[in-house]
Amino acid sequence: MKKYKNFNFIMGVILTGLVVLIAIIGCFYTPYDPDAMDAVAKNSGISMDHWMGCDNFGRDIFSRIMEGIRNTFLISLFTVAIGTIVGVLIGAVTGYFGGWLDEILMRINDALFAFPSVLLALVVISLLGTGMFRVTLALGIAFIPSFARIVRSEIKKQVTQDYVESAKLMGAGNFRIIFVHILPNILPVLLSSIMIGFNNAVLAEAGLSYLGIGVQPPDASLGRMLSEAQSFLFSMPWYALFPGTVIVIMVLGFALMAEGITQAQMK
Amino acid sequence: MLLEIKQLTIEFHDHLVPETVVKNVTMSMEEGEIVGIVGESGSGKSMTALSVAGLLPRKDMKKKGEIWFEGQELLSLPRKELRLLQGDEIGMIFQEPMTALNPTMKIGKQVEESLYLHRDLSRTERRELALSWLEKVELNDSERVYESYPHELSGGMRQRVMIAAAMVAGPKLLIADEPTTALDVTVQAQIIQLLKKINEKNNTAILFISHDLSLVKDLCDRVYVMKDGEVVEHGKSEDVFYHPMEDYTKQLIAAIPVIDLEQD
Repeated sequence: MKKYKNFNFIMGVILTGLVVLIAIIGCFYTPYDPDAMDAVAKNSGISMDHWMGCDNFGRDIFSRIMEGIRNTFLISLFTVAIGTIVGVLIGAVTGYFGGWLDEILMRINDALFAFPSVLLALVVISLLGTGMFRVTLALGIAFIPSFARIVRSEIKKQVTQDYVESAKLMGAGNFRIIFVHILPNILPVLLSSIMIGFNNAVLAEAGLSYLGIGVQPPDASLGRMLSEAQSFLFSMPWYALFPGTVIVIMVLGFALMAEGITQAQMK
Repeated sequence: MLLEIKQLTIEFHDHLVPETVVKNVTMSMEEGEIVGIVGESGSGKSMTALSVAGLLPRKDMKKKGEIWFEGQELLSLPRKELRLLQGDEIGMIFQEPMTALNPTMKIGKQVEESLYLHRDLSRTERRELALSWLEKVELNDSERVYESYPHELSGGMRQRVMIAAAMVAGPKLLIADEPTTALDVTVQAQIIQLLKKINEKNNTAILFISHDLSLVKDLCDRVYVMKDGEVVEHGKSEDVFYHPMEDYTKQLIAAIPVIDLEQD
């Protein structure tokens, strides 16, 4: 297919692949135990023993980044999954059937949409409490409205097409028309919004953890590490530099993939 | 009697004043018969056809009268039971073959759709039947067409695919809503020939809607002429064409361009 010849897409895949690879390796092997403290190595800089130095508790930053990528990545993945699945269902139903159901669901959607998603996640977390699972759920709920809106408008566009009429005429049911006939036609749009959504999820998770309500210590996440590093920005800048760089690479990778998909659509 | 429309009236209620698009239309079709409906844009011919196909949107619209198809009254039939007829007993082809096919689905899957919905066949049986119909609509290289996407085919080929998709489950009635309007003249003639052949071989009744009286004359046994939602004239197509009774029919016939070879 055309989009694989796309420079942006390939770069995106390489960057994301690199980050995912590190996260996968981190599941089986880390140079040090990410939570193990070492009083001797405390605040030590970059060395052969500790590639990215150690933090204020003497924990190996490289090992913690390996664990942090995994947590951040999983949270973002499931956040986007919740947002996409529920968003597609709501968007499909409202876009396809219209009527009063559409009105009600879309007004609720508007109300949710009026809050910034991080703020919305804050509200949900304050109701549910913290922890990885709850943070994912909170972010997922916050991500539903934007997906629902995109899917709804795309489905509305497709419903008037002749091929939908012709599928109806062959006796296909509504469910089959929506998911077998229409959905593949909105996939390119959906795919690039999933990519962008993933980026936002990475940043939102980092934001929540930075605020101290995301992943709880001693677990590592990229945002959590950034927030811990804040106090040592001048004395040990590498502590903030490395997790920050990884976030940039992750976001850049997905942004490039989204860009690549959009370009392939335009051709 | 295969199809009988009795006193069909269709009103739109989406404006303050209701608009009647079809008035008291009565028509009938025998099995295996080719019947034409002619008329200008807005004469209600497509509305009549769509209501037979059960494709008219339910809201904002009032339908009176009866449509009898094989002993079932279609207007009062619940959507679930209507769906059993659609694609199985009634097939339809559209004006725009460019948009009537799903751009993201392979041709083969689209031809098989009504088999998937109405017949209990295995994947290979469906494939064989679809391939045989792609051959029957004179698409050479049917294996390749089966694996293609719509954008890889020309307009004429897509209309053939549409016909194959509509015919694959063996419907008794095929509704053709201006199937040749979007095609150029030579392809038009081929499609008309193809419809004729399908009618002869399968004894499929065809309801052919067109604004082109000359096409209707070539293809149809009988013809209904519609104007402003009403049937103004009907009869054997040759009678109507050569001995029109109504002024409107005469105007329609006069509107057919004649190529005068003796000019200059």
